[in-house]
This record gives sequence, structure tokens and C-alpha cells, in this order.
Amino acid sequence: MSEYAIIAEDLTYYYGDLIAVNHIDFKVARGEILGFLGPNGAGKTTTINILTGQMKPKGGRAILLGTDVAEDVKKVKGDIGVCFETTNLYEQMSAIENLNLFARLFGIKSFDAGKLLSRVGLEGRGKDRVETYSKGMKQRLMVARSIVNQPQILFLDEPTAGLDPTSSLAIHNIIIQERDRGATVFLTTHDMVEADKLSDRVAFMNKGKIVALDTPLNLKQQYGKRALNAKVLTPGGKLEDREIALDAADTPGSVKELFSNEKVVTVHSREATLEDIFIKITGRGLVE
Amino acid sequence: MKIRIISNLISKDLTLFFRKKAIVVLTLIGFIFYLVIYFVMPASVDENLKIGLYSPVSLPVLNQIEEEGLEISSAASEELLKEEVLAGSYTVGISIPADILEKLESKQKPVISLYFTPDTPQEVKDSMEIVVRELVFMQTGQPLAFDISEEILGQDLTGTPIPPRDRLRPLLAIFILMMEILGLSNLISEEIERRTARALLVTPATVTDIFIAKSIFGVGLAFIQAVILMIIIGGMKTQPLIVLVSLLLGAALATGISFFISARARDFMSVLSWSFPALIILIIPSFTIMFPGAVTAWIKIIPSYYLVDTVHRAVNFGSGWGDVWINLLILFSFTLIIFCAGIYMLRRKFR
Repeated sequence: MSEYAIIAEDLTYYYGDLIAVNHIDFKVARGEILGFLGPNGAGKTTTINILTGQMKPKGGRAILLGTDVAEDVKKVKGDIGVCFETTNLYEQMSAIENLNLFARLFGIKSFDAGKLLSRVGLEGRGKDRVETYSKGMKQRLMVARSIVNQPQILFLDEPTAGLDPTSSLAIHNIIIQERDRGATVFLTTHDMVEADKLSDRVAFMNKGKIVALDTPLNLKQQYGKRALNAKVLTPGGKLEDREIALDAADTPGSVKELFSNEKVVTVHSREATLEDIFIKITGRGLVE
Repeated sequence: MKIRIISNLISKDLTLFFRKKAIVVLTLIGFIFYLVIYFVMPASVDENLKIGLYSPVSLPVLNQIEEEGLEISSAASEELLKEEVLAGSYTVGISIPADILEKLESKQKPVISLYFTPDTPQEVKDSMEIVVRELVFMQTGQPLAFDISEEILGQDLTGTPIPPRDRLRPLLAIFILMMEILGLSNLISEEIERRTARALLVTPATVTDIFIAKSIFGVGLAFIQAVILMIIIGGMKTQPLIVLVSLLLGAALATGISFFISARARDFMSVLSWSFPALIILIIPSFTIMFPGAVTAWIKIIPSYYLVDTVHRAVNFGSGWGDVWINLLILFSFTLIIFCAGIYMLRRKFR
């Protein structure tokens, strides 16, 4: 049994002249959460579509649990769960009917839809038609649907985009629970805080290429700039900002000088965010 | 392909179909409407022949006819006689030439003109000819002593004295089958546009499973409705097996067309805008039954012609396999082509 749940080897996909996925390589260990970050059009969803067998790569291989997806997608379908970027539930059916349908398609005989709905905070609404649900409830149901088969690999494509904090938190909890169960989670998101909080490693994707792949801490250390930010009161009575880089050679002297010579009003340390790092690496923001 | 998966997909489609109020209401209203139309139509043909006669000379035998109970009205002139036939006042117009007696006496053959309404059945035409020959025989005591000039006023139509409601049966069968195009197209196009099909395709279900399920659901739904309707309106009394096979092929044809429409349509309105032209074209052949002779041979390029014609022949004339096998073969070929083309178009949308 391979120690990696997902292996992408020289994965390539293009739409006409546009290269959506440009010879990417990465591996995701079993039980790991990989945050896949990038702006719209970076190639994240195309990568998910290839990994889940919805699209065949134009080049390279996608190997899930030791099986080449393009060669035998049927073999891996029972072991994966996919939560799509856009809501695609059967809206005229109830939540229970939706979940039961997918459980039957996966061949699960003893399935408790109510228990799963409780996990995503939809208990008591199971018999209502999905068309009566709010966006957050639908998204929670989407996540629930993606785990009816207790997948070994869970693909989540922007699962919390545009959701209220309660729904986002419910989904974060599910992701952590699934990882704790032993599932590998492949998470694409725009939300840097979410990626930072949940991911064991993050991959930055830009224009079809993976431009960085490491743990959030390593990325921050490698690319980030730690600093001390202070607000000082000038003799003229105005508030001004001061910033002292923490990694510079003269940092101790600069700090001492700040507190000796200036009237410090507030002071706090600042860590680089994943978004800062992404901008630093790619020269563009995540949300464009 | 797994039976478990397909049966679950069919079950899902059934649930969704019956939860779409607009489609269910349309189907129900259509069903009831067709039954009402059928039952309000006359159940029998008016077989009393109205005969118009223009005779410039007095023939003793004409008085004898009236005594024998035939209903004859006199027309003042041959032109008026024709006008009355065209207006439908007479089923048949008989015009006696002014020189009939002289010609009969001189052993020459007079020409007696018969005018018919456009939809006069052949049997009536034949019987009227016999009546006229009989009358002349009674008058002269000689057979074949005259010629008959037969003229159809207006467009010639063919047909038999079938009660109007029975003529409706093929029309109603095609209506109910083709109405299913609307429901099924809407169901499939929603599956694509709302991307629920994508969710199915990351489960063990395959595109083939989905197509098999949709085909069984579509054909089954249309077929069952058509069979129920035909049973209620007495369309299964003669040659039920031929009728069942025709309806099954018709249901498959409707399903194939639905695949086509769903590959093009994006929402309910575009399903409507694609479905109605298709419905109208497919219903046209039914008018050959309702109004015989009203359409020409080009109608045979419409696949539903072979469905309508087969049902009509089997239900109304009791035609057997030997009479309709070519129709069924052509219908099968059309259905196969349209069905395969529909699947090809739709598969591209599922990619």
C-alpha cells in the first residue's frame, strides 16, 4: 500500500491553446490535509476534475490510492468523496432523500442519514426539500453528501465560499473530523485563514503551475517578513506608524531606540500571512 | 452497468418527475382533455344518404324510388345540384340528362352524372352506382344501357365510414406520447444545467448507467400513459400486440427526441421553445386520419406518420402483421436513428 493517497506526476491539461494545468507534480500523504490555493482560473478545479476522474489528463498521471485514475476510474470512485464548488443537489428532494440516493449508489446498505445530518448541524430539517434551504445549509448538505461513503480521499472545492461563520465552522469541524478518521483531504480555497488553520501543507497554484508547496509555517519562515509595528505620538501631536523588521541584524538596537526616543502608543508583532506570501511569490492577489 | 444503480436512478427520476408540479399538471390536464375530446365525439357515422337529383325529364321510376323510402331532393339545375353537394347538403348528386329517354329508346347510351362530396367513402360511391344502374334497369328493362360519369367535387379524399371518435385514437396516442417529450426534456436538461449529473458521475454510476436509466424511465413513462389512454378509449380491442409494439416504438421515438432537446435546452422556457415545434411537426401525420386526403405524400418523411398509420390500421381496420410490418420497420429505423443521435448529442453535454 502506497504511503501517498494522491500522486500527481507531470499532470497537464489544456483547453485549446490555454494551458490550465501545466506539468504539475505533487504528493499527498494518507491522512494529510492539503490546502490548494490560487486565484480564479489558476487551474485548481481542473486539477480536482482530473484527480476525481471527471476529466482525462492530456499528459501525465493522477494516481489515487495506487491506481491510475485515467486507466481505472471505477476502482477509485468508491473510495473518494467530492464536494463541488457550485451547489448541485436535487432540490425537489429532501436532504434525507438526497443522502439516501447517494448511499444507495455507493452500495451502502445500513446508512443513517439522520446521524450524518446531525454532524453537519442539519438535524430536524432532514425531511424538508432542499429548495427551502439557505445557501449555508445547502453547502453543509453538499459536504455531508461527499462523505456518505466514508471516503479515503475527500475533495472539497471551495466548500466555505460565501458562507456565514456558523456554516463555515461546521464545515471546518467536519474536515478535521474526517482527517482524524484517517481520510486524506484535498481542499481548495480562497480563504487564507481557513487554509492556514486547517492545512498540514499548502500548495500555491498560479497560471497552471504549483509555485510553492510546504507547511504554512515553513512558507512563512521562508518567504515571510516578521516585524514589529508601532504607533507613536509625534511632538506635534500626530500619530505615526513605525515598523521594525525582526530578522535584521540591528533589530535589538532599533527596538531600544524606539522605546527610548519616541512616545509609543501601541505596539504589536506582525507575522506574514499566506496571502502576503502568495503575492510575494506570484506578484498577484488571490482574489482578483 | 449495475441493476442496483440503474434502478436507483430510475427511482430518483420518478420522484423528481412527480414533484414538478407544472409537468404533472400539464400531463394530467392533457390526459383528461384527450379523454373528454374522445368521448364527446360522435360514436357512430350518420349513414342516411342525402341524395340530390336534377332531372329535366319526368321518369316514372323516380316516383317508385320515393315510394321505396329513399330520400331524394330535387335540384332546379345541374349547377345548383353541384353547389348543394359542395355545401354538404347532399352526399350524392345525380344529374339525369335531358335526352335520356330519347337515347334509351334509340338504343344509345345516355351519360348519367354522379357528384360526390369530397369525403364520400368508396363504398357509398359504389353503392350509388349500383342504385343508378338498378333504376335504369327498372326504367328500361335493359342492363348496361347507359354510362356513368363520376365526378368528385372539391379535393378527392379517401376514407371509410369510421366514427369520428375512432379516428381520434391515433391522434390521441401520438399526443400523449409526444407530450412526454416536454417532461423528459425538462428533467434531463435540469440534470445537466444544475450539474447534478456531475455529482452522480463521481459515484460508481457511469454515463452509460445514467443513459440506460433515463431511457427506461422515458420510454416507460410515455408507454404506460399511452397504453392506459388506449385501453380507456378502446384502442386495444383489435390487434393489441401491434398497438403495443407501435406505442413502444413511439415512446422510444419521443425519448430520443427528448435527448436531442435536452442537449440544446438550458431551462424550462427553452425546453418549451424546442418542444413545441417538434410536437407540432410530429402531430401533423395524425391529420391524415382525421381528414383523409388533406395532406400529400411528403407527410411520410415525418417519423410519426408510421406510428399513426399503424395504430389507425390496426385499431380501426384490424390490420394484421402482414399489413403493417413495413410501417413498423420504418418506424423502428427512424426511432433507432433518432435515439442514437439523441444519445450522441447528449453525451457531449455530459462530458
